[in-house]
Amino acid sequence: MAVDGLSMKVKRGEVYGFVGPNGSGKTTTLRMLLGLVRPTSGDCEMLGEAPGSPEALARIGALVETPAFYPYLSGRDNLRVLARHAGVSYNRIEPVLAEVDLTRRADYRFKSYSLGMKQRLGMAAALLKDPELLILDEPTNGLDPAGMAEMRDLIRNLGHGERTVLLSSHLMGELEQICDRIGVVKEGRIIKEGTLDELRRGERLKLRAEPVSGAIELLEKLEGVGKVDTGDGGNLMIEVDPSRAAEINRVLVEAGIQVSELCVVKLSLESVFLSLTEEAEPLG
Amino acid sequence: MDSLIAELLLLRKRVGNWVLLGFWLFMAILFSYLLPYYAYTSDLNFHGRGVGAVLLIALLPQNLVANITNSFPFFGGTMVLIMGALAMGSEYNWGTLTPAFTQRAGRLKVFFAKMLALAIALVPFVLLVFLLAFLASVSISWREGQPIELPPLWDLLRALAAGWFLLAVWAAFGVFLAVLSRGTALAIGLGIIYGLVIEGIISSFGRQIDLLKQISTVLLRTNGYSLISSLGVTLPSEAGPGGFSGDSVSGTQAALVLAGCLIVFIAISAAVIRRRDVTGAS
Repeated sequence: MAVDGLSMKVKRGEVYGFVGPNGSGKTTTLRMLLGLVRPTSGDCEMLGEAPGSPEALARIGALVETPAFYPYLSGRDNLRVLARHAGVSYNRIEPVLAEVDLTRRADYRFKSYSLGMKQRLGMAAALLKDPELLILDEPTNGLDPAGMAEMRDLIRNLGHGERTVLLSSHLMGELEQICDRIGVVKEGRIIKEGTLDELRRGERLKLRAEPVSGAIELLEKLEGVGKVDTGDGGNLMIEVDPSRAAEINRVLVEAGIQVSELCVVKLSLESVFLSLTEEAEPLG
Repeated sequence: MDSLIAELLLLRKRVGNWVLLGFWLFMAILFSYLLPYYAYTSDLNFHGRGVGAVLLIALLPQNLVANITNSFPFFGGTMVLIMGALAMGSEYNWGTLTPAFTQRAGRLKVFFAKMLALAIALVPFVLLVFLLAFLASVSISWREGQPIELPPLWDLLRALAAGWFLLAVWAAFGVFLAVLSRGTALAIGLGIIYGLVIEGIISSFGRQIDLLKQISTVLLRTNGYSLISSLGVTLPSEAGPGGFSGDSVSGTQAALVLAGCLIVFIAISAAVIRRRDVTGAS
């Protein structure tokens, strides 16, 4: 089962990051929200409407997985086709082409586009309806670093004001820079949801000490100390309140353990993601 | 209406559709006029029909309907089957159902717009082949010093309608196969094998085996040939891919069976499109 009892709420006007390992159900969830895939049970609402209903789709722009267009049509003609299906005026085409910086190549056939240009055309298509909600699935796939930076800026700008962005990505750095809140999905369920600060809460202590085995043994006996991980180069990462650094230093030294480094480490989103997806059991 | 315009744009801009149209026109005129006229002028025994006045008369404008309509159940059907399979199957191959279905229109509206666009796109297939056939027959008449007599208008209109209807059924068959197989390759392969081989075998053996004879009465080509035969067309009885060796049915029965097939193809395709999950490109 790709998605099982997944529950999330995305607030109006925020950029919500949807993150999870490959096969965790992200794209299936997005396809369900768009009415492309039907859930076997349960229900969901999109902007208060049934997923896939014309009322909901009229207010949503989406770029799901790789951008899919007609290869024999130009970028502009592809947008014309979608504008017709969406009931949107052709007048919207030039502004969205300009917004993704594709105006000059708009009359070239889609099959001649680079991957980055295809992504930008996908983004232009998602913006055609000037949607309240943007659903973007890996929008920076295939982009070079400059393209990724441009896309990040574009998404960040799109997320301002009343427009809501639901962004699925593997790139933690990207999410860290763009998103207001993040939901981590594993095996089809949300296992953690919150703002970046909430997710990164639980700073750790980084310790370099000799002998390592003695330090681990001692630390694991201390009250209030959580997991002790062996990091790169013999460093130990300790789950503990950072304000107890001095106390831990004293205990170790008194036990004859040489402490050469002890500092507070702020967790990256990537490390939070890895620790969550490697260990955590899905909520609810 | 908006989705129909979108689908017409897709059909019009696709080079493959123009190639199919050109190939269909070339094949139809080649086998209905150029080769028979070459046989006539070369005094060849063309497919056992004999030479001389009978062959020439068939090529004159007054026999336009009888001569060109024969091409519809065979070449025409195959060409538009490919067009239907390409129009629908490519959407699966390219993953373009996802953006199409996430616009405002909805699945069924997009699907029926595509079917309507195909139906409209078939009109030039019919009109142009009759126009070219007319020009070919007038040229032959003029070259052979024969009087130019046009076929009765009513016969011509009935033939145009029957030709369009036959092509519509075959195009819908192509769409149907593409929807079931979620792509173009298998749909075109199966469609061509069915049209060129399976129907021919069943019709041939139908003369000896009663069950196959019954089955052949619901086949597309049998009913296609039966429909045009009700317009006064002499069916091609030779063996071979384009020949028709089965028993024909009445024109009314043929029209009803073909209409039934058209409805079934469209209804099943629409039901599958409506219900089936849409995943990425296949």
